[in-house]
Amino acid sequence: MIALLLSLALAQAPSGYTPEEAKALFTEANDAYYKQDYAAAAEKYERLLKAGLGGKDVLFNLGTAYLASGDLGRAVLALERARKLSRDDDIEANLAIARQKQGDQVVGAETEAPFLQRLAEAMDEPVVSIGFLVAWFAAFALFWRTVAAENGKRLGLTLATLTAFVVSAALGGAVAAHAWVAHTVREAVVMTPTAKVREFPGENARVAFEVHGGLKVRVMEESGRFLRVRLPNALEGWTEKEGVEAL
Amino acid sequence: MGRTGSALLVLLASAPAFAEVEFSMLSDRNKVGMQDLLRVDIVVANAPTDAQVQFPAPNGFEVLQRHESTEMSYSVGPGGAGVIKQVRRYTLTMRAVRTGTLTIPAAVLQAGGKTWTTAPLSIEVVKGTLDAEPSPRQRRHASNPFGIPPGMLPPGFGFPDDDEDPFSGIFPQPAIPRGDSDIFMRMSVDKPEAWVGEQVIITLLLYSRVDLSSVDTVQMPKLDGFWSQDMKTPSQLTPEHKEVEGVPYNVFVLRKKVLFPLRPGDYTIEACEADLTSGLMWAGHRLHRKSNEAKLKVKPLPPPGKAQAIGQWRLSSQLSQSQVALGDPVTFKLVLEGKGNLEAVQLPKLDVPASIKTFDPETKDQTNLAKNAFTGTRTVEYTLVPQQTGEFTVPGVTLQYFDPERSRYTETRTDPFTLTVTPSANGQTVAPVPGPVAVQAPDVKNQLVGGGLKQLRHGAQFTAPAAPVWSRPFFLPLTGAPLALSVAFALLSALRSSLGRQTPESLKRQQAKAARKRLASAEKLMGTGATTEFYGEVERALLTFLEAKLGAAVTGMTRAELAARLATHGVPEAEKNRLLAVFERCDLGRYAPGMGEPSARKAALDDAAAAMEAFP
Repeated sequence: MIALLLSLALAQAPSGYTPEEAKALFTEANDAYYKQDYAAAAEKYERLLKAGLGGKDVLFNLGTAYLASGDLGRAVLALERARKLSRDDDIEANLAIARQKQGDQVVGAETEAPFLQRLAEAMDEPVVSIGFLVAWFAAFALFWRTVAAENGKRLGLTLATLTAFVVSAALGGAVAAHAWVAHTVREAVVMTPTAKVREFPGENARVAFEVHGGLKVRVMEESGRFLRVRLPNALEGWTEKEGVEAL
Repeated sequence: MGRTGSALLVLLASAPAFAEVEFSMLSDRNKVGMQDLLRVDIVVANAPTDAQVQFPAPNGFEVLQRHESTEMSYSVGPGGAGVIKQVRRYTLTMRAVRTGTLTIPAAVLQAGGKTWTTAPLSIEVVKGTLDAEPSPRQRRHASNPFGIPPGMLPPGFGFPDDDEDPFSGIFPQPAIPRGDSDIFMRMSVDKPEAWVGEQVIITLLLYSRVDLSSVDTVQMPKLDGFWSQDMKTPSQLTPEHKEVEGVPYNVFVLRKKVLFPLRPGDYTIEACEADLTSGLMWAGHRLHRKSNEAKLKVKPLPPPGKAQAIGQWRLSSQLSQSQVALGDPVTFKLVLEGKGNLEAVQLPKLDVPASIKTFDPETKDQTNLAKNAFTGTRTVEYTLVPQQTGEFTVPGVTLQYFDPERSRYTETRTDPFTLTVTPSANGQTVAPVPGPVAVQAPDVKNQLVGGGLKQLRHGAQFTAPAAPVWSRPFFLPLTGAPLALSVAFALLSALRSSLGRQTPESLKRQQAKAARKRLASAEKLMGTGATTEFYGEVERALLTFLEAKLGAAVTGMTRAELAARLATHGVPEAEKNRLLAVFERCDLGRYAPGMGEPSARKAALDDAAAAMEAFP
């Protein structure tokens, strides 16, 4: 059963490159980076992404290439996407450099993310989901085994069944948190060097402040061409969709 | 010296030890201008101790100064006797207040009831000054330490001897003004011509021969076209004693400024003004004085007309260490010192190879206003962080400047230095984060990567960013599967349970079916040597059959009890006997010899099956 779940979880879509071609393109991109041709490197990484081969490594290299070329918006976007797939020290380090170079300093107390969001960010989604399924199946199997058991053997099985149900309930809650975050929390990165944030959605609205490439914001709602974005310090305003890219 | 008249009177020989009385009056010239000073000496020799001199009260002259001195000498006379001579000299400094031929009346000496009188002096006074014919005293002051032609001097100025000037000889001696001779101000420029950017010093002096209580305000002129800085602004009045044309004055330095002309041209520095209080305490008088103007000609720099600095400068450098490990900082100090306007100096930057990272240098300026010169020191401190191993030569720094004293361009430079960069402690030969703009020198080690960034991944799993597991199509069905299966199983069980609760007849049939199954299993034992097991199985099959048919337990009953139970249930006699016969045969089969034969077993099996079939 576990093998079946893993195979289902890791199933991937077919791409336009053979594994050898993808590896060759990846190597070419790395070579271009080392020759400080960051634009060429990024272009090759992007081709892998478009072919559906953009794993965390490709995203990390892409973000690093953009960061080296000074394109903070695309750098943060790629690195944040890599971070969503897998957290590691390299991604965090390059993101920290990107934040240092970023042109905005968010001043004021930063609002804390909702509990469910923090819970979801703290747990790896595939592990939680697959763990839930395993615990869930195990709980029911133990239940029926307990029903069928003779009277003298039921106590241990009952305790094991209850434990399995508790674990599966906890993991199920975590899966639900992931699902909630995916449906309700929308984050984006400012892509343009400068984006105007207005007081209400309209081109004639007064510009409340400006944000700069590489700043991560939370998208609260949408209205026509505009998105209502919220900064970590709860500062809010409307900016044009073209200036930001969803994570 | 022109002597207009003299008198020698020998009236009394008072004592053999003293010579005769001599009394005379002399002037240093017999023609003066109204702006010139006239000096009259009244000499009394061998006068008695009670002698009284009545000085002349000249009409048309003002007496600026009276000075008295005494000399004594001893000589041997014709007869071998010693002669003591005492000479008392009175010097009057005067200035004419009108033109014409004026007479200075005779001086009178009275002693011991006797009177001696000098001859009057006749002086011709003309307008202006007779500077073209300076008096001997004026000629004595005409030394010029600056080499400036007299025609370039500001009006009213001469040049004092260096040893008579308490202010370092940087400003000339003024003429005493008419009218405000007691207190007057003079502004001087230390040179009449200067190059653009050359240091010029202006000094404002106050001359006073009366008591000065305070200087209330001093208003300096606007200095458009100059970069200026105060050199001296005294907080209290400290006089220097100085003679002007023989007249003693207290001289105060009110202001001293250093100027650096910014543009060429002829400049007139406007007069300074000051409010003063003379006299003591409540007897003070408020005065307002205005100085002279000053002229300055500023020359443009000779071709090419521009320089990084003007003045006299010297560059030096200091390197904290010539050998350094990779990544460790090195401090390079560039020091510029000299005379001139430090703030206008454009010091060139250090030309550092690309493999050495530099930060913005720290610059410190220190200026000094002393000894009539504006000097300064600029220290520029660079922090160098090598990014690669190797030997790197940093070229020297050259500053080209114009030296106004020598009127030519010159330069000062530092020596180039070599920095040897060794691998770091962990063996690195290149800094891990050289940055995207790092450029490697062609002759140093090949290194890659940049920017403070973590290095790239060299291997990758080419997987598409997968959708969350919980959103995959299989997730919800899998989640619901155990629940659905459990529900289905429970329903099935319930169904089966409900189906199992049929009529007693159906239950009996089931039990009979089970008995027949058991009989079938006994048949399997028929061909084996297990005779006891065979007959036991046949007996249990019959008992199971009877329990199903009778609806009561019959296992453990004696044959009589079983016969009674069968009779109770209305089993016909024939059938009852047939069943009991089968039980009897089973008992015999287990315990009597010969019953293990296959034929006997088959007969027992057939009897049992027949009894079951015939049971009502």
